[in-house]
Amino acid sequence: MLALSLYVLIWPVIVAVVAVVICKGFMSEVREAKRRGEDLI
Amino acid sequence: MNPETVGFSALTVVLLLVLFYGGTFYVSTRIGKKNENADGYMTAGNKIGFGISAASMTATWIWASSMYASASSGYTYGISGPIHYGLWGALMILFIYPFGKRIRKVAPKAHTLAEVMYVRHGRSSQLMLAGSNVVGSVISLMSNFIAGGVLISMLSPFNFIQGVFAVAGGVLLYTLWSGFRASVLTDFMQVIAMLGAVAIIVPFIFFAAGFPAAFETGASNLTAQQSNFFSSEAFLNQGAPYIAAVLAYAIGNQTIAQRLFAVREDLIKPTFITATIGYGAMVIGVGMLGVLALYLGFEPTGGDLNNIIPEMAASYLPGILLALFFIMIIGALSSTADSDLSALSSIMMADIYGQNIAGKKKANPKTMLLIGRLTMVAATALAVALASMQMNILDLLVFVGALWGALVFPVLASFYWKKVTNKAFTVSVIAALAVFIPVRFDMIPMTGVTAVLIELLAVLGIGIVLGLMAFGFFGLRPALVLGIGATVVAAPFCFGFLRDYTTLSASLVAYSVSTIICYLMSFKSTQNFDFSVIAERAGDFDTGEQPVALPSADSRNTTTTVQERE
Repeated sequence: MLALSLYVLIWPVIVAVVAVVICKGFMSEVREAKRRGEDLI
Repeated sequence: MNPETVGFSALTVVLLLVLFYGGTFYVSTRIGKKNENADGYMTAGNKIGFGISAASMTATWIWASSMYASASSGYTYGISGPIHYGLWGALMILFIYPFGKRIRKVAPKAHTLAEVMYVRHGRSSQLMLAGSNVVGSVISLMSNFIAGGVLISMLSPFNFIQGVFAVAGGVLLYTLWSGFRASVLTDFMQVIAMLGAVAIIVPFIFFAAGFPAAFETGASNLTAQQSNFFSSEAFLNQGAPYIAAVLAYAIGNQTIAQRLFAVREDLIKPTFITATIGYGAMVIGVGMLGVLALYLGFEPTGGDLNNIIPEMAASYLPGILLALFFIMIIGALSSTADSDLSALSSIMMADIYGQNIAGKKKANPKTMLLIGRLTMVAATALAVALASMQMNILDLLVFVGALWGALVFPVLASFYWKKVTNKAFTVSVIAALAVFIPVRFDMIPMTGVTAVLIELLAVLGIGIVLGLMAFGFFGLRPALVLGIGATVVAAPFCFGFLRDYTTLSASLVAYSVSTIICYLMSFKSTQNFDFSVIAERAGDFDTGEQPVALPSADSRNTTTTVQERE
């Protein structure tokens, strides 16, 4: 039961980590664009 | 017996849609320019950063169908089902990144793969790839509109057609003006909403439905194969055909190629790796709802497996999380739909108008932008019309998948091998389709010598798929070793066996026939193509110079620009 529970619940944890990584990347791009006075995209 | 499901009032759904599409539209207006650049409209200047590109790649690769299909796989094949959908799909993003790096090196400023094929080979190869892209994107667009219509009709008083129109109008609203730039920026918002929703909703349903105790009480609902993590049934029916199919989708799909050309070249690797993990975790995570449903003995309405996710959500989530779920699905289908619109507009702008009607140097950026926007409107109208007919899209998707499968080797070889000719490209793709179609649709009896020949081609296809994957990372020699080794090892198990799995056999046959013919027609060719030509000829259209055509001039050779004449 424990193994199956971990098997199901590990994916939302990985998803949350990826969301944080993408957000951090995005925020640093926003700051960099502001610093350079350029459009984000 | 399913628990009682809940839904939304008309007002709540309208508010959620206004919130979602109004928000994305507002963001798109923040980057809108009165005079958009035609190249920016297609690839955003080829210098997008990591955060946006990783988000966009993830969002584009996840469509509503991938979540529904992963849950269906979990419900049908048991605990390994979501892995056999999500893991292979995710790994394909990873496997194409080495090819992506090569493609960007050869064509740093291109907009579409078909545009590169035009320079590399000529019109027939280009139009073959562009045509498959158009069909694939229209089908994808229609599929996402259908998913939106079904979701809205299931969770609200609105009917299917009203749902389709709401989704189509919303996507068109925020994509029309700024094209690809709007698509990738809104992808960031959408993917964060999707990832956040999965991180909350899956654990919530897990505990609300009585797990982990339900793993014991519901164990009798699973067959021996469904309980087995190494289920051969799951691998042969779901995993293996999908491995063959998604490599083709990753190479043939313009939405992926477009992001490949848009991301900053040094960020291709981290972007693809992040998208691999993000896609895999999200799709497998949502697929686990199918596994939970199986343990619970949950029966989707009408036996339609596409109802598993919405009905599980409606059964176990409170109103606020159901709203989050609604946004997650709308986000998934919208992010793919806006990518399809951008892909279609790029193909019409660069491949049809830019290279076949006006010619590279005569192409007017303003006309290109107008064509891009008109394409988006026309494609949306077409997809809405097709969606409202509620067609069965499975056969069309299979056909496009096979077309892309037939294209994989000729396209990839064209980026590495100087000898590949236009004739070899074209003939090999047509021949592969000519063999694929009768196999896939059971038009020939899979018995006797015919079956053995098809199995032989399919076994070769196994080696070719694995060899191509290895080639991207390790080069030719390891690819040959792996490809030949895999063929030899698989052969004894495949003869007399693969004939019962025509979906898998047909996909593999598409790979092998196109590869064999393309190779045989090319290896003696005297062509010695100079790859540096591609970077020169597949570049920006909108350089700020006014195109001027000389009288009676051939469009591609004797046209010059104002700047050049001065």
